Amino acid sequence: MTALLAATAHVVLPKIAYHSILPVLVLLGGAAALLGVSALVRRPLDTSAVTAVTVLTALGSLSTALVQWADVRNHGPHVAIDGAIVQDGFSALIGVLVSCAVLLAALVGDSWMRREEVRGPEFQVLMLISAAGAVVMGEANDLVVVFLGLEILSIALYVLAAFDARRQQSGEAGLKYFILGSFSSAVFVYGIALTYGATGTTNLPQIADYLARNVLLHEGLLLAGIALLLVGFAFKVAAVPFHLWTPDVYQGAPTPVTGFMAAVAKAGGFAAFLRVFVSSFGLMRNDWQPAVWVVAALTLLLGAVVALVQRDVKRMLAYSSINHAGFVLIGLQAGTAKGVEGALYYLFTYTFMVIGSFAVITVVGGRGDGLHDLERYRGLARRSPWLAISFTVLLLGQAGIPFTTGFLAKLEVVSGAVSGGSTVLAVVAMVSAAIAAFFYLRVVFLMYSSGAPVVELSAAGAGPGGEVRSLSLPAGVSPSVAVEGGPAGAGGGVGTAVAEDEDEEIATIPPTATAVAISLCVGVTVIFGLWPAPLTGFAHLAQLLIH
Amino acid sequence: MAQYLPVLLLLALSTVFAALSFVASSLLAPRKRPTAAKVAPYECGIVPDVEPPQRFPVRFYLVAMIFIIFDIEIVFLYPWAVTYRELGTFGLVEVLVFAAIVFVSFVYLVSNGALDWGPAKRLRVAMGERTTESTVARVGPEGGPRAGRAA
Repeated sequence: MTALLAATAHVVLPKIAYHSILPVLVLLGGAAALLGVSALVRRPLDTSAVTAVTVLTALGSLSTALVQWADVRNHGPHVAIDGAIVQDGFSALIGVLVSCAVLLAALVGDSWMRREEVRGPEFQVLMLISAAGAVVMGEANDLVVVFLGLEILSIALYVLAAFDARRQQSGEAGLKYFILGSFSSAVFVYGIALTYGATGTTNLPQIADYLARNVLLHEGLLLAGIALLLVGFAFKVAAVPFHLWTPDVYQGAPTPVTGFMAAVAKAGGFAAFLRVFVSSFGLMRNDWQPAVWVVAALTLLLGAVVALVQRDVKRMLAYSSINHAGFVLIGLQAGTAKGVEGALYYLFTYTFMVIGSFAVITVVGGRGDGLHDLERYRGLARRSPWLAISFTVLLLGQAGIPFTTGFLAKLEVVSGAVSGGSTVLAVVAMVSAAIAAFFYLRVVFLMYSSGAPVVELSAAGAGPGGEVRSLSLPAGVSPSVAVEGGPAGAGGGVGTAVAEDEDEEIATIPPTATAVAISLCVGVTVIFGLWPAPLTGFAHLAQLLIH
Repeated sequence: MAQYLPVLLLLALSTVFAALSFVASSLLAPRKRPTAAKVAPYECGIVPDVEPPQRFPVRFYLVAMIFIIFDIEIVFLYPWAVTYRELGTFGLVEVLVFAAIVFVSFVYLVSNGALDWGPAKRLRVAMGERTTESTVARVGPEGGPRAGRAA
């Protein structure tokens, strides 16, 4: 013990630049404040107050991320806190992206909480903590910090996936995500250990430096480390063959959580994935590129093909998100600045499209969050033209139709792959985009076809028998119920056929907060699709410190 | 290579031990089929006469959470206490912030009724009422996978 004390007698304190982690501090501060206040007041906090605090926190972290962006533009990228954190355009962009995702998801979550009569701040608190983890992953400059961010992100998401205590599928989703996620975290840590063993450091620039200065005679250890890190990241971003958790978790989790998870977990995961592989293992490119090539090709094709046969819209979009992960992987596979730029732009546009899409699904899913069969969308345009048009735009954006952000995103990564010499992968990507367009357009076609939904009894998640009857009622039975969330007694199992009929009408009228979120998502998708210069410029300037 | 020899030996040893345990268990364990009395729910020797699935509070879970919170706190406080002179004001402020966050989670737990031992009064219900109808899976003719949830 005395020897240990003697060894640690001189502690060199690092200089802590708090402004470099300000977005994280704002997010965590908001979460701690919400939790503390909710514990001290006697009654459960009002949902609108919780949402207001969450939105303000998201705006706060958004503005601090923009300040960081301006700082990087003026003074150049740099490392902070003893090399553990990096400040570059890339990290600032991830901060902006995650803050936007929190803002949108908080609005969607607000309406969902009212409809499902969820009280208390836990939902939004967990969302803020998880977002803080994603921001940490974006600015991590050390493998250990990457892991820290990964765990902060994931542990909150495990709980969020299981949040809907009244649906068994939600608990199942949480448990599956938790067990598989912990396992992949263990694989990831093992990868860190092997990389440390091979290079003697966990600091990302120092790893690159070591590899540049030394020729490894036996590189087996490092290659094994890279392989395990690849597996860990591929699990988090749901790349084939590590995607098996995705459909079940996306389907089982509460729908607003699914949108948030699809956006933020992918953004955080890919941020660290890109930084570690392009910055640190840039010189090992010839070793990891073939592996990423195969993973990307499998991800693209499997995601698109399996989505074709899904009957459940959440499950379909889960496979579609796997397909999107494949497109981002193309940008990674190129391993160039242009590839990273394409991947970032793709992530940015994807965030808005996916949160918007799941917001529409949240509304259509109705009270109980269980009505997600594709048949529910038949004739939606007649019942709610506004909702149908929004969903159409978001789906067409995901399909990559021109004049949406999705088109340019796909174009950027594919042209990056072509310029990087991966022509075959570019062809695979375009084939998968063509396949994917089919199932997006099928939903659009269903929404604009006539007739009431026909519910198959065998379909997964099909609602009770009252559904067909109630949907054939004329619209507008009780619009006022839409905002208030129905009579209080309806949720606790005493729900009657009358309450159910009202819910069916609610399903087509989005509550105000969700409507704002959907409008924002549609607006970003269309406006920056028509006028892409600001967003592409943003992604172009958001470069890694080293590449 | 020689430095890896202990690792390999330990690996071999643990494999042999695991294999031996399985063999020993299959050789030594009594081979008796389970009877109806053996598989029945155990209720202190009393024959159960009511339908088993009923919810009861699992308070020890919350107590375990309190334990984990303070356990984690001491894990970080102890090294700080050993080197607090070297860490100076900076260390003190950081530890205070850390303790404040830990305290918030403790207050949250208490406000959720973690220390109430009587009937649950202050236990907040975050998501409506949960009953055995809504969360216990029933198999058989009357219960499908979604039968519990009334819409």
